[in-house]
Amino acid sequence: MTAANGKAHVLVVEDNPADVELLRYALGGAGVDCELTVIDNGGDALAFFEQRGVYANSTPPDLAILDLNLPRYDGIEILEAMRASRKFADVAVAVLSSSSSPRERARIEAFHIARYITKPPNLDEYMRIGFVVKEMLGEKLAS
Amino acid sequence: MRAFRDLPIKQKLVATFTVTIGTALLLSGISIVGLDSILFRGYLQRDISTLVRIVADNSTAAISFDDPNAASETLAALRARTHIVSACIYRVDGTPFAGYARGSASPACPPPAAADGVRFTRHDLTASRAIVLTGRRVGTLVLVYDLGEMAERRNLYGGLVLAILVASAIIVFFVSSRLRASIATPVSQLAGAALSVSRTRDYGIRVRKFASDELGLLVDAFNEMLSGIQSRDDELKTVLLSREAALRGAQSARDSLETTLASIGDAVISTDIDGRISFANRVALGLLRWSEPDIRGRRLDEVFHIVNEYTREKVESPVAKVLREGAVVGMANHTILIARDGTEIPIDDSGAPIRREGEPAQGTVLVFRDVTARRRADETSRMLASIVQSSADAIIAKDLNGIIKSWNPGAEHMFGYSAAEMIGRPIWTIAAPGHEDEMPRILARIRGGEKIESFHTVRRRKDGRIINVALTVSPLYDALGRVVGASKIARDITDQVEAAERLAKLNADLRQSNEDLKRSNEDLERFAFVASHDLQEPLRMITVYSELLVKTYAGTLDSQGEVFVDNIIGGTQRMRNLLADLLAYTELGARSEQPAGNVDLNAILRMVLENLKVAIADSHAEISVGDLPAVEAHSAHLIPLFQNLIGNAIKYRGSKAPVIGVSASGSGADTRFAVEDNGIGIEPEYREKIFVAFKRLHGKTIPGTGIGLAICQRVVERYGGKIWVESAPGRASTFLFTLPGAICPAANAAGGTRIRPEQEQE
Repeated sequence: MTAANGKAHVLVVEDNPADVELLRYALGGAGVDCELTVIDNGGDALAFFEQRGVYANSTPPDLAILDLNLPRYDGIEILEAMRASRKFADVAVAVLSSSSSPRERARIEAFHIARYITKPPNLDEYMRIGFVVKEMLGEKLAS
Repeated sequence: MRAFRDLPIKQKLVATFTVTIGTALLLSGISIVGLDSILFRGYLQRDISTLVRIVADNSTAAISFDDPNAASETLAALRARTHIVSACIYRVDGTPFAGYARGSASPACPPPAAADGVRFTRHDLTASRAIVLTGRRVGTLVLVYDLGEMAERRNLYGGLVLAILVASAIIVFFVSSRLRASIATPVSQLAGAALSVSRTRDYGIRVRKFASDELGLLVDAFNEMLSGIQSRDDELKTVLLSREAALRGAQSARDSLETTLASIGDAVISTDIDGRISFANRVALGLLRWSEPDIRGRRLDEVFHIVNEYTREKVESPVAKVLREGAVVGMANHTILIARDGTEIPIDDSGAPIRREGEPAQGTVLVFRDVTARRRADETSRMLASIVQSSADAIIAKDLNGIIKSWNPGAEHMFGYSAAEMIGRPIWTIAAPGHEDEMPRILARIRGGEKIESFHTVRRRKDGRIINVALTVSPLYDALGRVVGASKIARDITDQVEAAERLAKLNADLRQSNEDLKRSNEDLERFAFVASHDLQEPLRMITVYSELLVKTYAGTLDSQGEVFVDNIIGGTQRMRNLLADLLAYTELGARSEQPAGNVDLNAILRMVLENLKVAIADSHAEISVGDLPAVEAHSAHLIPLFQNLIGNAIKYRGSKAPVIGVSASGSGADTRFAVEDNGIGIEPEYREKIFVAFKRLHGKTIPGTGIGLAICQRVVERYGGKIWVESAPGRASTFLFTLPGAICPAANAAGGTRIRPEQEQE
């Protein structure tokens, strides 16, 4: 759901601040203007989707960008909790992973992942992620 | 008479009785008949005379009166007397006057007899009487009387006598039959017994006594005689038997002595007092190589040559010494007999004088024997003994009661007991605690002729130390094949056992360390995987942020700063390649979760060439791909295999543009793949090293991680194949490999693909 200020709302679950920073840079580079909620660990991510603690009033984002390799809880558990809740079940998910192994892709296939993005090894490719997100948000950005 | 004498007593008795009684009766009969005949004749004579006188008297008147009829009537009165044949009355002149004839009316009167009186003829009686009247003769009466009456009487008496004879004969027969029982039967039994005794020489036979008469006495005497004979016979037999036995003994002793001498295993020669040979047995002849006829009578010196084995000096003939000393001479050892044909035979010999008790010697006897076999046996036995003595194994002999009979130095050393200590002691002296019942069990099996081999057990040394031994126990037999003891060979296998234990432990350790190694290898691979994976993250950060730095601050960095950042970027790039290859390499070690698929190698090659597009274009490489089969494998394995090999062929090129050929030859599991180039080649000493991970032959001038060929090898080995290189250094290399585990029988006839730089550029 679009944030109160009318901007698109993107949830980023990523423990590496450098990646979050690069993501911001890429989004900026692509001209994506959005509300970015960043959660840097699995426990908080679970709390967000289960609306517990500080996230008791969390609302479904327009897009969740999920790193599968997280401290405390791994991406699969978070995806399970997310798809299990009525509120977040239909949230579009882009998985951002450092692994490009088919094995890992197979593991999360059941969770209706919209995009599977491998963390790029160079800046040019990283910048392209901004455009991917822009494309995924689509009309939500136009409003 | 002879016939009578030979008759049986019974018949003799019958005959005697018959003759005696018959004769007596016959004589009596004849006497009676004779007497009666005489008496009857007299009576008849008187009777007829009377009758004739009466008739004559009665006829006197008739004749006187010449009345013939009256006379005839008188005569007719004679009819009452049937035996009167005829009666006639004659006149004085002799003419018949009247007559009578028995049974006839007209009598024929015979002429009258010349004289009066009665006359007997053979058949009849004629009586004549003068008829007298007053003293004068008037006529004559003649009367004929037949003697039939006399015959009748005679017959009557004869028949009587005959009847008496017959009756007597019957009585005699019966009486003699009785006599047979009481006389003939005992006698014939006696005879039979005597005959039987003489035939069978069975003096035990006795005759039954019937009565106490003389025959009874005879039977007693006979039986007594038999008893006497029997005891005599028994004595005789005993004497005879003992004499026979003695004779036989003497004979057999002589025979056996002769046989013994002839067949004795030793050579025997006897000589007379002059030393001339009188006898030589077969063995002697054989040893001396002489024949019997040749040797007899020769001097012993001529045929019996002996020398000392060592000195070769002639040894004095034993005969001379025997004759000189008159005593038994045993010969010195080491004597060699030189036979007639020169053969040398080691012998033992001895000589002795031949003499009777208390008499001077008559000759000598020389006994010698071939000791070759014994020498050999001695040598063998010495050799065996020395083996036993020098054996490191304990060799022990014991009897069936376990008493030790021999104990070699090996045993002394092994068990610490000396032979002197152990011989005579029981074998269980060396039994180890807890193994005491083992030895009786072994001995029981030995008694049954069984052999015990390689029996591993323990024994206790004198010093108490327990040693491991391997035993071989065999039965010992005597000359008759009976088990009399056991030979035991013990080998100290303490070292072996310990070595085996050490080996087992070592094996266990090895297995453990192998497992440890495997585990640590797996850990290492996991670590390498995780590390190469996780290392990529910070590396990616360094790369991206370096680029971001360059991009953001491009204008503010001086040229040196730009070089630094370029070096950072170059370094991170190389590191990323390294990590990528390492990851690929470690992933090859992991088990594949998906099954291998049927892969067309031609398609794989197309993908590889696509991946290498830039390098191919840059190097102007010409790559020809032959007809490749389809294989059963993972594309993820085959792509790096071919990509690394072709990439290397491009990378390690010479001055000329690379010409690379990919081909497959052979069929089935033997299918051999080749990637050949015209590059710089590989020196022989490096042809194996190049497959080891991180081994590189070239410095940084040719970039590389050093993992490419290691990956190739890993892929090939994963499919059970082999990879190797053939090379002409400076000119060419060919990498060859097989993939037997991936070969599938499907025929593949895809045409070769040929890629040229020109085509790529178009």
